[in-house]
Amino acid sequence: MAAPFTRVYRPFWRIITTTKSNRGVRNVSYTSQQWSAQNVKTAGAASPWALHGAVCVQRLPVVTQDRSPIEEEFMELMQKMEFERSLLADHELKLLDDAALMSRKQEGDYDSDEEDDYRDKDIVTAQDLEDIWEQKLKDFQPALRSQGNDQKDASSSERCLADSLILLVKKDVGSQKLWLLPQIQWQMGETLRQTAERALASLPGADLKATFLGNAPCGFYKYKYPKDIQKEGSVGAKVFFFKAVLSSHKHLPLEKNSFAWVKKDELQDFLKPEYLKQVRRFIMAL
Amino acid sequence: MAGIVCRTASRIISSQASCSSSVVAVRHSHWFTSMLSLKTSVPLRAEPKKRKKVDPRRELMVKERLKKKLKKLEKVPPEMIPIEDFIKSAKGFDETRVREAPDLCFEESERRALLLKEWSRFKRSQHQTEMHEIQEALEAQRQALEELKLESEELYKAAVSPDTDIFPFQHDGPCYTPPLTNYEAPEGKYNDITRVYTQ
Repeated sequence: MAAPFTRVYRPFWRIITTTKSNRGVRNVSYTSQQWSAQNVKTAGAASPWALHGAVCVQRLPVVTQDRSPIEEEFMELMQKMEFERSLLADHELKLLDDAALMSRKQEGDYDSDEEDDYRDKDIVTAQDLEDIWEQKLKDFQPALRSQGNDQKDASSSERCLADSLILLVKKDVGSQKLWLLPQIQWQMGETLRQTAERALASLPGADLKATFLGNAPCGFYKYKYPKDIQKEGSVGAKVFFFKAVLSSHKHLPLEKNSFAWVKKDELQDFLKPEYLKQVRRFIMAL
Repeated sequence: MAGIVCRTASRIISSQASCSSSVVAVRHSHWFTSMLSLKTSVPLRAEPKKRKKVDPRRELMVKERLKKKLKKLEKVPPEMIPIEDFIKSAKGFDETRVREAPDLCFEESERRALLLKEWSRFKRSQHQTEMHEIQEALEAQRQALEELKLESEELYKAAVSPDTDIFPFQHDGPCYTPPLTNYEAPEGKYNDITRVYTQ
């Protein structure tokens, strides 16, 4: 039979709600979907877990990582071996020819008319070209790889350019202030991904644009409320994490005490151990 | 008009009657034209007339032969466009460019061999950690989807449905130095010497 809260008769395998349930706990709402009889969820058997959607925003690395000692050694070896097995390039041939020409000019009985291809003295030699190129390189000042503010300011997204950073927010949970990934309670009528997007958008003072990677959550964490808060019908909460990649580069600086951009190894300084255990599984710091 | 015609006709008939005897004698010789016929000179009459049927046919035959020759030429398959990367350039076989082989002492060659082995071990452990991390992440996702299914079928279906908006996805990868703010790259002039082939 149709669920008790539907006014209009429908075949029991198809449920359409027209009213929103006023009960505090989440109720399922559908838009004319087909259901098998076993999966019917009625208003009475609602789940005691409150649903939250959270977002794991990553600022991907801007600069390449420094090489480890063995990587340095190996890179040098590879470059040497490649050089040894290569043939001479046009530029190198030119250098050799110029050197030979110079040595011939220095000899006493030098006659410039005997040269195969008579060259004007104004022509630029290969060595001169090399010097010009080196000069041009010196004139260009690239930005520094590390800004130097790695340890001090945890709320700047420009720190640790070589690693991927995760955004954390400080939030009141019950009586405590905890560092968490940004999360918000799920509302009826939206998918969990939309909840996560709302969580990102509702951060105070932050104008972050991120691309969400897919509809599926990447991890979850469930916790029970402490006994005094547990009402009937709500045992605890389940948080579903969604991954997102930060798209814009320049941001307004965020509040120091409520926001932090942290690397994976710094997470243990901020998060609670149980929470950390679940979050670490899906954050890859490769 | 009709009167003029009658008069000329009567004149012709009377003249014909008077000189009919002389005319009969010379009618069969081509040098003497009859008074009745047009005043044409001899060369004009001696020109061979154009034979209208055979020449167009001959021209058509010539055209058809040319067309057949063209078709035979066109039947040759078109030349394949060469792949520039597969053509070995002559510079590679130039003997004047050969570098002298370096003289490696025993320690150097030993050091190289040991470094290669060390590197393979390093790469293996790196690969194992990568694979382990990926497995962990996949397992975490699978468990999350399981929990979601226990919670609500509809949300699970929404999570499992494919996301159409994610592609085309673009992201600039890491460079050696971070990008400079307000940097204007100098305009470079270049001559494009790529070869363009048409078939």
